Amino acid sequence: MVLTCPVATTERDETIGHSRRNVLRAGTLLVLGGATAPLAGCDLFDRGDDPPPAPDPLEPLVAGALDLAGRHRAAIAADPGLADRLTPIAEAHEAHAAELRRVIGRTPPTASPAASASAPAGSEPLAALRRAEQQGRQVAAQACAAAPAERAALLGSITAARATHVEVLA
Amino acid sequence: MTRRAPAGATEALRAALSAEYAAVYAYGPIGVHLTGANRSAARAAEAAHRNRRDALVLQLSADGEVPADRAGYALPFPVSDGPSALRLAVGIEERTAGFWRAALAHTEGADRNRALAALTDCALRATRWRRAAGVTPLTVPFPGRPA
Repeated sequence: MVLTCPVATTERDETIGHSRRNVLRAGTLLVLGGATAPLAGCDLFDRGDDPPPAPDPLEPLVAGALDLAGRHRAAIAADPGLADRLTPIAEAHEAHAAELRRVIGRTPPTASPAASASAPAGSEPLAALRRAEQQGRQVAAQACAAAPAERAALLGSITAARATHVEVLA
Repeated sequence: MTRRAPAGATEALRAALSAEYAAVYAYGPIGVHLTGANRSAARAAEAAHRNRRDALVLQLSADGEVPADRAGYALPFPVSDGPSALRLAVGIEERTAGFWRAALAHTEGADRNRALAALTDCALRATRWRRAAGVTPLTVPFPGRPA
């Protein structure tokens, strides 16, 4: 419809460029339409299963818990003298991750062993851990506030646990 | 009908109030058997529980009947010295944390945030009392969760 208008005018020299742009624009729309159609429907590459489920809002918390566990494990590896103090905290974060996964009901694809977490930076490993726990506490508290009833208690316990970790690291 | 007030909010807060009554009571014998910094901490903890109690009484009185405090509460074991006082302090904070944790599922918005703050405070005090008592580990993975 749009394409026919400029072509029908008499000022051809002026309108050709115009109509080309419209052709290009229409082509872009067609390409986009072509790209989205297979996602919505089924094609050869679609296995015909259900579409991938939307990510659970708790999945970032699983990753966060594993990250915190990894930070404590790394600090213990760097200074075994901290093992007595930090091992229960690392175990708590691992227990949180396991419980969150159970509540989510499936293993998140991003879940990976905590070994990749980096050691706390600087000469004050405990201060870095404390900051990480404090941040984690805020994230968990926000998740608790936003959670449906059946998840609120777990997220509340995780929030409170992280607060006690800050206390122990002080 | 469309208001999504969670079921059992009043019941959960009443239960939390009864736990706060018991905590205030327990800190009487606890404080008597502690000295120095531990006694000061016991006084501060008692004041914190009184504040929670008063806030709950105020809030619940707007909704209807407020459960009454009892004249006394049975302690789970005799408190006769510092170590037993510290042990009871840990136990009281863990117990009270459980009631506030239970209230989380029955509340939302500001009520839930208050319950979360109370749960967290109880967990923090339990950790400090464990440290004072020489109990390790100082923390538990899921504060307030029934064992």
